[in-house]
Amino acid sequence: MRKIVATVLVLYLGLFIFMGLVSLPAFGSFESKHVAEYYLQKGVFHTGSANLVNAIVWDFRGYDTLGEETVLFTAAMGVFLVVRRKEYGRYRKKRV
Amino acid sequence: MDVIVKSVSRLLFPFILLFGVYIAVHGHLGPGGAFPAGAIIATGFALLVVAYTEADVEHNLTRHELIDMKSVAGIILVVLILNIGYKSRFDIISTQKLFEFWSGGFTPLLNFAGMFMVITALVMIIYTMMRE
Repeated sequence: MRKIVATVLVLYLGLFIFMGLVSLPAFGSFESKHVAEYYLQKGVFHTGSANLVNAIVWDFRGYDTLGEETVLFTAAMGVFLVVRRKEYGRYRKKRV
Repeated sequence: MDVIVKSVSRLLFPFILLFGVYIAVHGHLGPGGAFPAGAIIATGFALLVVAYTEADVEHNLTRHELIDMKSVAGIILVVLILNIGYKSRFDIISTQKLFEFWSGGFTPLLNFAGMFMVITALVMIIYTMMRE
């Protein structure tokens, strides 16, 4: 049962990825009807910031950047977990 | 470390902080932003950690304070990104002129809050790596 559910989910996800791939422009040909052109045309009007990279990163894609920061914090926590003092664990075991 | 290295890093550290904050709050006007600013300030902390010891630096800025900083900055970021409390950003943006310091709507504030998130993550990595 779990295998069937997993297979269906994977196929569903694959369908979405395939649909996204099909709708991309052909290799080497840039069509200007995509969102990049809109950012260049209307970015300053919508955000008011002169640096368009920053406007895209923080205003148009704020959720994305928030997740990026969370990924950075997760990396710090991972380093903290992997490279921590080993004596600390022993000390805790003795005390508890 | 040597006394020369200690003195020079102690003198240099406030200017590194100032430069990082400058990069953050001018992110909407020129090259820069939250990530480079946080990296620069974390580099200043790395300089202090190398010149002195890790315990000396952590005595002044502990891990718990870093996590508090991170939490407050994250809440501010969520409030600013979700646009809580404002009807529309156009009210702010329409009153500001391009290429002036107070322009860009929420972008300077977002840069400033994001800087703290980058600082906390990188400084925690530096503390953990230097302790070993």
